[in-house]
Amino acid sequence: MIFTIFCVRHYEYDVGIDIFLSTYRFLYDSAMDYQIISINQKGENFMLLPKFEFYEPTSIQQAIELKKKYQGKAKLLAGGTDLLVHLKKKLITTDHIISLSKIKDLSQIKEERDFIEIGACVTMSQLSKSKVIQEKFSALKEGGDNLGNHLIRNRATIGGNVCGASPAADTLPALLVYQTQVLLQGPDGRRKVAIESFFKGPGKTIIKDDEILTGFELPIPQKNCGAHYIQLGKRKSSEINVVNVASFIEINPGNKTIKNCRIALGAVAATPIRSFFAEDALKNKTADETAFYEAGEVARRKDCKPIDDFRGTAEYRRAMIGVLTKRTLETAYKQAMAQ
Amino acid sequence: MEKFDVIRSYAPRLDAPDKATGKAIFTDDISRPGMLYGAMLQSPHAHAKIISIDTSKAERLEGVKAVITSKEAGTIKYGVSPARYDETVFATDKVRYVGDEIAAVAATTLEIALKAVDLIQVEYKVLPAVLTIEDAMKEGAPQLHEEFAGNLCAEVHQEFGNVEEGFKKCDIIKTTTMKSKRQDAAFIEMQACLAEIDRRGTLTLTTSSQVPHYVQRTVAMVLGMDVGKIRVMKPYVGGGFGIKAAANHQELVCCILARMLNKPVKMNFTREQVFKYARARHQFTHVITTGAKKDGTLVALKHECYLDGGAYTSFGIATVYYSGALLSGPYKLPNMSYDGYRVYNNKPACGAQRGHGAVIARAAFEQQMDMIAEEIGMDPMELRIKNMMNAGDTTCNDLNMSSFGMSECIEAVREGSDWDKKKGTLPKGKGIGMACGFFVSGAGFPIYRSDTFHCTVICKLTEDGGAALVYTASAEIGQGSDTAFAMIVAEAIGIPLENVRLASGDTDMGVDLGAYSSRQTLMTGHAAKEAGEHVRQQVLEVLATQLNTPVEELDIKKGFIEFKNKTPDFSALRTRYIKEHRGWTDNPDSEKLTFKEASRIAFLEKGSIVGTGKYRPHWLGGKFKGAAVGTSPAYGCSAQVAEVTVDIETGQITIDNITDAHDCGKAINMNSVEGQMQGSISMGIGEALHEEVIFNDKGEVLNNDLAEYKIVTSMDMPPVKAIVIESDEPNGPFGAKEVGEGAIMPTIPAILNAVYDAIGVRISELPLTPERVYNAIQAYKEKKSA
Repeated sequence: MIFTIFCVRHYEYDVGIDIFLSTYRFLYDSAMDYQIISINQKGENFMLLPKFEFYEPTSIQQAIELKKKYQGKAKLLAGGTDLLVHLKKKLITTDHIISLSKIKDLSQIKEERDFIEIGACVTMSQLSKSKVIQEKFSALKEGGDNLGNHLIRNRATIGGNVCGASPAADTLPALLVYQTQVLLQGPDGRRKVAIESFFKGPGKTIIKDDEILTGFELPIPQKNCGAHYIQLGKRKSSEINVVNVASFIEINPGNKTIKNCRIALGAVAATPIRSFFAEDALKNKTADETAFYEAGEVARRKDCKPIDDFRGTAEYRRAMIGVLTKRTLETAYKQAMAQ
Repeated sequence: MEKFDVIRSYAPRLDAPDKATGKAIFTDDISRPGMLYGAMLQSPHAHAKIISIDTSKAERLEGVKAVITSKEAGTIKYGVSPARYDETVFATDKVRYVGDEIAAVAATTLEIALKAVDLIQVEYKVLPAVLTIEDAMKEGAPQLHEEFAGNLCAEVHQEFGNVEEGFKKCDIIKTTTMKSKRQDAAFIEMQACLAEIDRRGTLTLTTSSQVPHYVQRTVAMVLGMDVGKIRVMKPYVGGGFGIKAAANHQELVCCILARMLNKPVKMNFTREQVFKYARARHQFTHVITTGAKKDGTLVALKHECYLDGGAYTSFGIATVYYSGALLSGPYKLPNMSYDGYRVYNNKPACGAQRGHGAVIARAAFEQQMDMIAEEIGMDPMELRIKNMMNAGDTTCNDLNMSSFGMSECIEAVREGSDWDKKKGTLPKGKGIGMACGFFVSGAGFPIYRSDTFHCTVICKLTEDGGAALVYTASAEIGQGSDTAFAMIVAEAIGIPLENVRLASGDTDMGVDLGAYSSRQTLMTGHAAKEAGEHVRQQVLEVLATQLNTPVEELDIKKGFIEFKNKTPDFSALRTRYIKEHRGWTDNPDSEKLTFKEASRIAFLEKGSIVGTGKYRPHWLGGKFKGAAVGTSPAYGCSAQVAEVTVDIETGQITIDNITDAHDCGKAINMNSVEGQMQGSISMGIGEALHEEVIFNDKGEVLNNDLAEYKIVTSMDMPPVKAIVIESDEPNGPFGAKEVGEGAIMPTIPAILNAVYDAIGVRISELPLTPERVYNAIQAYKEKKSA
């Protein structure tokens, strides 16, 4: 059944569209030199979901047991905005799907004294509405708000976005600059991993076959800090980023020098990356337009290693890293000064 | 001005409640007991010889009822225009694009059908493929169709006046090249159909189509059946935009399977198959030279155009003519030449899409108008008004503008956008631009040569007298035609809209060529008006006799009988009516005689009151080859102003707002007119800024879904000020003409002119992606500093 009125074409677009129209993020081959695999080239038909066993554990422990049982062959289902699309398109196959929807613990944002914990199944809409995210982690809110469209954001989860490990994913640059710890749990207990070392390549992470990502720990930024995220695409919604950048900055309020800064770049390498050269270039510098411009130039020249694909050329991506780095720093700085 | 009671209002759409609540039935919602599911095998190669097809494994799969190839389907050629039938249901000797149909399966479930398709084994000999116009036209290039040497599908050469001589008189001559990209219409409902045959041999095809009439004829031809034994119906349709304006393979396959198996068969395209089937807007390359005098008078236009056609002709013959024909207006232009070439290659076929053939030509030409204006220091609006045709004028290629509110449209957007204040005063990075455009209000001739009426409408009054039923074979595909015709009938009879019920989209209801070329409001509207007037006349004649009053003194208004002079005593009629309805609750007690009473009395006297209407345009156009394309009984026209902000550092364009004025003749339903204006702008923005079907080097579509094929979202849509300009079209019903396609004409060039105003550089290739704009700005900077 179609629910839209068709007097104009896409004007009431957000009303009737189903989740499959919109977000599957970057599709990268697992090969070393990563190329877009397109999109069912075998002439096969692919509109139906394949058959699979479906599990709905009610605790993390049960989920881990199931994962262990199927030795990495089972897929976890959170929002399903990637998984179901990929299954339909036969980009991935699996006989076992473990839904996380019945595990309530995973859908909470907990605020502690020095840090917050975001459950893996927190949706983009939840992030956007959370007061602590709005006030202390605005770059992460920006990232979540730019993912897909309303309908996608109501389903897509932060854990799914991270486990998808797309180099262009919307929440990853912000998670990188907020020094996020990834919380993993397996049969032998829990471990914490810095998000920088979590990604191995497009679609690839260090997560073990019997582990589950349960959430994220983000230290609450201190005073005089600010952060911002900008993504660049061809249109204003339901977009897959050509590039994206997040910057975090801590200012010495006295002399307005940069005490601390972290910059993360997306869609310019096999994983989202930190822009270390640019960060170094900013340390202890006076925060001003020239410094931010210079940082952008360094990020563009030294930190990013983009490729050409049908979304954009490497050359354009490089140029935009310069612009977005500068712009995110400017906004982050304004935020820091406003505190 | 004539006063209307129903039309020219903001009427709620008849289909709105059902669509808003999800109750509207589309083809895929329909099921039949014992129904089978069909699926097609499509070529994975862009160009290959078929050596053998082995269907045995597929046939052995449990649940499979039939596997068919060209052996069963036959090799009758069909297509859109009889001048160029170049398709068969299934490929016979070779496949010509990724997606070319090879075989089909019917099975008890869709899963089994899809599995069976995978079991069909085809041995191919892969042939070298050509994927671009340039490669296809090279000497020694692989040939797609033996009968069309050089992969040239069609060429057009026309000259009106004398272009060469014209240029000699010009002070300014501008030549530019413009290149667009292949589009997809991205309608929300994928093609779907359900075929069933009854025990008496009548085949009924329910399908998501714009043109039940043409589908009926093609099915009859390809299946070798009597047209009268085929009924084509369309339920609600989720958009078409031209792509569903001809029979598709799936419909034919579905009918063949249903006839063969004596069972209902349903088939659906996936979104990926919509991209494979394509048939949307061509990729155009235009080279246009315009010559003008110092005072701005246009003198001559030389136009060359290349169309990237894909593997088959589809609408292509009409497209290549349209691309040239519709530059002869809206400006007075005595000399025009056109050389058009449509080239085959190993990609899916292109066809017709909103603004058929004319959109990119318009985009190129309207930019040249601005370039000329800039060079002679004239305001772009002034230049256009100076050259504007007037109502009654005929173009050099014999298109007659029977009404023409183009200058009024320009004045309306000038004021509506605050143009005079903004033009030339905006800061860097902000720009304002305008453009004009016009389009046919219904093709002057059917696609096949025939004297047929283009549409017929039947109006029958219910025997209780309460309602008028309207039956039309026209196609409501989301554009609001059902509501428009119900309004026209209500107006013609003189009753409120709620007393009209309408059924449409069924070939059993009559002839209607369907929803394409923006034809229905004018053409079917005429037939609807005539049918309404016919029943009205019959009711009044009965009444005249009954009341012993001359029929000329009677009128029907808002559901009541009006008497020009003294109201005669109608109490006898009322008593008769009330006696008929003893015990009913709705006995009339109004001062005036109601239409319901009159209509009931008419039934009692004459039996069912049935009115008929029909329409066929008068003979239109000139005598040269191709003169039929572009002819129309009327032309809608529009002007738009776009304001944009360009991010100079990233190349991103934001459309800040669009002011749009459209002359649709007399508006039937203001809601639908404004809706079409906004929808056209949405489609135009997409084509201007980000829509593009992208292929890889194997001829496969890379972005075959709505995540990667970037239509405009609600977030990209700017505020639109829609101004309806109402001329009085002498050839239109109540003076009405089109709005569905003309409104897209100025959108792209208005944006392009605004972007030029913002950044000072013209971009000659669409879409204006951030990267393309960024590169243009960089190149411009380098050139300036060099």
